[in-house]
Amino acid sequence: MSALRWGRGAAGLRWALWPAGCPCLLAEEGAPLRGIWGRRRSSASPCEQDRRKDWGHAELLEVLEARARQLRADHVSEVTEKRVDVARLPEAGSSQPPRKAQAGVEAALELSGRWARKLDKEKRVMQKRKQQLEVKLRQRAEQRARKQQLHVEPRLQSRQLAARLQQWLLHSPGSPWAEQLTWLLREAPRRPRGEERRPADGTAGARCDGQRQRLLAFLQGCVLVDQPALAHHVLVVQHGRARQQRGLTLPMYNAVLHGWARKGSFKELVYVFFMLKDAGFSPDLLSYAAALQCMGRLDQNASTIQRCLKQMAQDGLQLQELFTSVALCKEDQVALLSAVRKAEPTFSPPQPPLPSSQVNTSPLLRDIYDKDQPASYPRQHLPLKMLKSLFQEQLSVEMATTVTVASVEKAPSLTKEVLQARKTLQGLRIRWEADLCQVLRETKANEAHAAREGRPSLFPYLCLLSEGEFAGLLLQTLQALPPQGESLLSLAQQLGLRIFNRHVVQRKQLGDEVRALERRYFEYLRLLASDSRVVVSRLPRQHWEALGAPEVPHEQPWPLPVVVQLGKQLAEVLVQTVKMPGRLAERQDSCKLIPVLYHVYSFRSFRQIGILKPHPAFMQLLATAAERTMTFEAAEVPMLCPPLPWTSPHSGAFLLSPTKLMRSMEGTTQHQRLLEACPPTQLHGALDALTQLGNCAWRVNGRVLDLVLKLFTEKGCPRLGVPAPPSEAPRPPQSRLPRGASPEHKAELRRELARCLKVAREMHSLRTDALYRLSLAQHLRHRVFWLPHNMDFRGRTYPCPPHFNHLGSDLARSLLEFAQGRPLGPHGLDWLKVHLVNLTGLKKRESLQARLAFADEVMKDILDSADRPLMGRKWWMEADEPWQALACCMEIAQAVRAGDPATHVSHFPVHQDGSCNGLQHYAALGRDSVGAASVNLVPSDLPQDVYSGVATQVEVFRRQDAERGVQVAQVLEGFISRKVVKQTVMTVVYGVTRYGGRLQIEKRLRELSDFPQEFVWEASHYLVRQVFNSLQEMFSGTRAIQHWLAESARLIARTGSAVEWVTPLGIPVIQPYHQDAKVLINGGIQSLTFSNSGDTSQKPNILKQKNGFPPNFIHSLDSSHMMLTALHCYRKGLTFVSVHDCFWTHAADVPVMNQVCREQFVRLHSQPILHDLSRFLVERFCSGPRVKKVRVARLLDMLLSVPKTGAFNLEQVKHSTYFFS
Amino acid sequence: MWVPVAGVPWRLTLSAFSGAGRFCVLRYQAARWKDVPARNSRGLSDFHPQLLPSQGFGESPSWLSKCRLESRHYITDPRLAETMVRILWGKEDACKLFLECNPGPGILTQALLERGARVIALESDRTFIPHLESLGKNLGGKLDVVHCDFFKLDPRNHGVVKPPSLTSQVLFQNLGIEALPWSKGIPLKVVGIFPTKNERKTLWKLLHDIYSCTSIYRYGRVELNLFINEKECKKLMANPQNPHLYQALSVLWQVACEIELLHMEPWSSFDLYTQNGQLEKPKCRESLGEIQQKLCFTRLTPRRNLFTENLTPVNYDVFFHMLKQCFMKRNAKLIDHLHSLSPVDAMDILKQTRKKEKTKITNMYPRDFKRLFETIECSKGYTCKWLYDDFMEDIVI
Repeated sequence: MSALRWGRGAAGLRWALWPAGCPCLLAEEGAPLRGIWGRRRSSASPCEQDRRKDWGHAELLEVLEARARQLRADHVSEVTEKRVDVARLPEAGSSQPPRKAQAGVEAALELSGRWARKLDKEKRVMQKRKQQLEVKLRQRAEQRARKQQLHVEPRLQSRQLAARLQQWLLHSPGSPWAEQLTWLLREAPRRPRGEERRPADGTAGARCDGQRQRLLAFLQGCVLVDQPALAHHVLVVQHGRARQQRGLTLPMYNAVLHGWARKGSFKELVYVFFMLKDAGFSPDLLSYAAALQCMGRLDQNASTIQRCLKQMAQDGLQLQELFTSVALCKEDQVALLSAVRKAEPTFSPPQPPLPSSQVNTSPLLRDIYDKDQPASYPRQHLPLKMLKSLFQEQLSVEMATTVTVASVEKAPSLTKEVLQARKTLQGLRIRWEADLCQVLRETKANEAHAAREGRPSLFPYLCLLSEGEFAGLLLQTLQALPPQGESLLSLAQQLGLRIFNRHVVQRKQLGDEVRALERRYFEYLRLLASDSRVVVSRLPRQHWEALGAPEVPHEQPWPLPVVVQLGKQLAEVLVQTVKMPGRLAERQDSCKLIPVLYHVYSFRSFRQIGILKPHPAFMQLLATAAERTMTFEAAEVPMLCPPLPWTSPHSGAFLLSPTKLMRSMEGTTQHQRLLEACPPTQLHGALDALTQLGNCAWRVNGRVLDLVLKLFTEKGCPRLGVPAPPSEAPRPPQSRLPRGASPEHKAELRRELARCLKVAREMHSLRTDALYRLSLAQHLRHRVFWLPHNMDFRGRTYPCPPHFNHLGSDLARSLLEFAQGRPLGPHGLDWLKVHLVNLTGLKKRESLQARLAFADEVMKDILDSADRPLMGRKWWMEADEPWQALACCMEIAQAVRAGDPATHVSHFPVHQDGSCNGLQHYAALGRDSVGAASVNLVPSDLPQDVYSGVATQVEVFRRQDAERGVQVAQVLEGFISRKVVKQTVMTVVYGVTRYGGRLQIEKRLRELSDFPQEFVWEASHYLVRQVFNSLQEMFSGTRAIQHWLAESARLIARTGSAVEWVTPLGIPVIQPYHQDAKVLINGGIQSLTFSNSGDTSQKPNILKQKNGFPPNFIHSLDSSHMMLTALHCYRKGLTFVSVHDCFWTHAADVPVMNQVCREQFVRLHSQPILHDLSRFLVERFCSGPRVKKVRVARLLDMLLSVPKTGAFNLEQVKHSTYFFS
Repeated sequence: MWVPVAGVPWRLTLSAFSGAGRFCVLRYQAARWKDVPARNSRGLSDFHPQLLPSQGFGESPSWLSKCRLESRHYITDPRLAETMVRILWGKEDACKLFLECNPGPGILTQALLERGARVIALESDRTFIPHLESLGKNLGGKLDVVHCDFFKLDPRNHGVVKPPSLTSQVLFQNLGIEALPWSKGIPLKVVGIFPTKNERKTLWKLLHDIYSCTSIYRYGRVELNLFINEKECKKLMANPQNPHLYQALSVLWQVACEIELLHMEPWSSFDLYTQNGQLEKPKCRESLGEIQQKLCFTRLTPRRNLFTENLTPVNYDVFFHMLKQCFMKRNAKLIDHLHSLSPVDAMDILKQTRKKEKTKITNMYPRDFKRLFETIECSKGYTCKWLYDDFMEDIVI
């Protein structure tokens, strides 16, 4: 029995040794203890088995011991043994000798025979083992106790440094640390580590990078949550292992230095400096900043600081730079300054140049930033007081981080069943929240333990938000899960990003940042409000910058692996924790709990995708409860006050939620890096354009919304873009199959089922999309709101709120109108009419006069549509863009019925579209006369249609071939139309290949019922060749430029770089196409692998770089054109927004906008765009020592051979009516 | 399972053939030496490797040689053909309609025709077609030659169907083949060699066809007699006794078909041709690995009782999904998988299928999986029997 008892004793000991609060670590720690017994098992419940195996043995011992008991005088109490603890261990050891004597006595008592001998032997063995055990336990306990303490003292590799440290520790107990530091700083780095720190190539290098990223993120995270001791501990552990030390980088040491500096812990700071030197680094600005900051906080004497500064100067670092190029928060900066002032009392930190004094000097923007002319810009139409209260509202929304919006779905009748379901759901949620908090606490303890073992873990990230907030976030995720589930990877990523956003918002609330923001914003509003005057005339961004210092350093985004790992950990917690009764109907608590979420795999061909899928019963419950609210993140909803002006690549738009100036794939950092590196004035054009686009106030078109909602809550109307409710989904045949149905029949049934399911699923996703949009519209009805904008990597602009904006479908656009009205003026009504005709798509080839005449002709229908949209003749429903047409009909009706249309105040946006905008830019670049004429760059009485032009040209070629006897050409007679070639021509600008073009044409040919289908393949093959030939004929310059761009990109990518350029407006562009970098996140329910194509450490993806460059370059031009137009329109006081190449303004202002648009197009293309590009690329990719390489030389040749241009006179554009129409 | 080749013990046959390569004379002598009846080498004079190019197939179309460099194996050994015919002929009542995939030089075709069978030769390589057609004429017209690739029948991309891929409906209609009900006999036997590339893809495609009764299986329980890679073949026939090879594919095939290994033949007995009918040089093909590998002549006959009340072409994909899901974590316990497969109470199911709680996936025989599936399918009182969703599977193979 005693063996058994010992086992228990050991277990008890194990408990006693544990720090309270992390019982969950037991399972993991059981292993080494078990090892003592020499029996290590890999089974799931090893203790159990051990005990059972020992049983027979133990039974025998029990018998023996019972006989021996009476003989024994002093028996070590079981109880004490069980409760043996660290303090008692030595005592237990010292009780040994008397017991040995005891053995002698026992032998003397005549317990003769084998039994006695055996018993004796047995006991001796056991005692020996016990001794051993105790010794081991003691060691272990000591170890554990040591482990409990975090490492402070560094383990140094360099003997000299270590000796020095020891010496100081032992002999100078006073405050030698300042001396130490100066000594350390003076010492040159031990080893030149520069060379060996080059990352190893290949996958090993990538993995190493991943680990580094994670470690750095961990250290920074610890400092962030004020746990520098933990960061220090992990750093010491990692530093102490020679192999891992190689993975450590200077920023890691700096992160910990920074942490100690903030705390003012000088001793630990010096320890880190020891390690830093030991690793062979020389301190940089950040390290010095930390040291000085720490000294500033501790009020160190001047001489130390002076020596430090001197050393810094010797290292070639400028004192001024401490204040300009190190990002520190205000408090830290004060500490730093106080330290420096001590050494140099006269020092004053360099004032950052006043941003408003710097002006962009680009020739394209000269007019905009011209100081001589007073700047005018559209103001908000609201008074100051109103705007201030709007700001307060938006601020409270963003502080709450989520917005709850009522759904526009028809309310269910509150039957008993519904109420019951809601109650059940409520109960479940309360329980889940508690459970989640509990499990999250345990997870956190686990991660903390991992960190104590010296591994970088998620611990600091789990400290960022409270458990309650995490739980709330998780429950929100659960609520929004679609019935077919979501892939674990994307779920994890979303969760991680949301946590980051919340964390940023929370940090901003901590200091008095919010109050400062409010003060500054109120001041800023004086410029925007309708009833206040500001003396100096400035653009909103300039005004904002003039109002205060540049903002504090922004929160760096977390590396993608950390984001995903964090999200995955939380998703796992969700899967494990959230359970519901197996049968919801049964109310007993005895009912078995089943998980709500399942982790299953989906098989795509040979790939597996892990999916989290909600239990159907849970979905059923949600459907029955039919709760009528939905939750959005604050940044997904339009803003309630004018957005913050963009002043830098990461500050602008929402008040608190972080927003990037340039949206990009998660995990790409090169865009941000480029933007940050370029001089601030270079970005002014883009910043101002985006600020102004965001400053346009919007409101909901209530009448259209009413109509849409009416259709939406009834049966929907897919033809008009109103998705139908699920009840309208096709039903599979209900009847059960007859018993003897043939397999074929069954297969038929299956196909039918699959079809129904597919349709239903598509309907569901459309419906959800519309539900979000309409609910938000309903939420914002009777309100004024703003859509903050940002841009993609080519400079194309987009509104930030995803669900409800002016970029969407016809339906989405029709719901919006300008909040600010403008009288129609003399020609406004005509523009409205033309716009309406444009929306119907009926008179595309007619002149403006003809379109106007047509509108007058159908005025009766227009009025009828406006008055009785759903009951009348429904003329509007036949239009290309029915909802916008309807909204326009209503506007026209109002204007016509107003006494004087010219004074009618209109909120309606009128659009002007570029005709095949990409080709317009190409034609202008190449000065193609024929091409320019066909895309309306040349004045003409009637709008030209490039598609018809190409079709005609193709027909010419076809006839020639047919005469030559080519069979396909003969078959195609009479089938070549505008429609067949349109899509291909449209997309050719955006780099469609022959392959893609053939597929497009094949589709068109299949639609032609009388075309002999057996020729489709051959004919499409033939046609796509002819379309490309025709384009070549018409746009000769275009094709040459396309080819030049593509070839240059290919050669650049071949030299190992991604293609970069700068748009005429100054935005730096880099193509984020690289070979996929695989990131693997192990452990947990599933290993996640994801590839990141934006990783700059990988080689560029040559094909993508090559194919992407021509369209991306053209997009960067059209975005420049849009921004120029926008800025100049604002200068003239117009309201302007855009959907890429579709420009919107008030009806009264269309002529002005048209004029600006043409002027800016001419000015843009008057720049030597291609030569500038060539020069930039040569400088960027063919300079320096690289020139000697063959590849670079070939690239240089290519770059220098800029295509020749044609003879087209660009000035003609100014008089072309149909350029944008 | 090892079925002796009619007359000759298979070991003997193999040793007779191994290493013989394509040198006919040598092989002839070897065969004599091993005392294989001389008539087995009959027809040798009809065939000579040099014959092919000299037949003047003309220039192969330029597009052909450009886009396909894949090479194929062909049966060129008359003795092998003879053996195969003997195996295929089998019982007296068996059907005598053969569909030969990629006959190439037509050695087996000839043997089959001589035996009096009706043969449909689906040849994907145009260069062989004239030769095959002439073969038909010489031997009395019981041969149809179609330019078609059997393994590319009924492409799933719904694009243009251009030769050599065809739809089975068109093919069978042109050939006048009537559909036989599933419960009846075998409508035709398919003979051929599995494509070395995409072997697994083809195996999956065929499985989908069987279970959904589409493509060739619309016409009844078509019997496949195919040469399959030895490794792949072992996988098909694996069960819990050799758990390393056991996988979802094995279960699905064994549930669907009776699998018989008829004969094994070393790689070296097959000739390799590039796409335009050129004999490939032995040097480049005879890498060591290939020589040691064998091809297994395997018969896959769909089971008459494959479809039951609960496993039908309507829900077969759920069965597929169940198996894939199970074999994703193959060492896990069945009960753990049941939780993420079906909302039906896992213990009930275990009880009904008489499995223990500790049963692992790799301990389940194919029939156990089928029973498990059927048990869940017919469980009462659940509105939703599977957590599986069509969305999750994207069957484009």
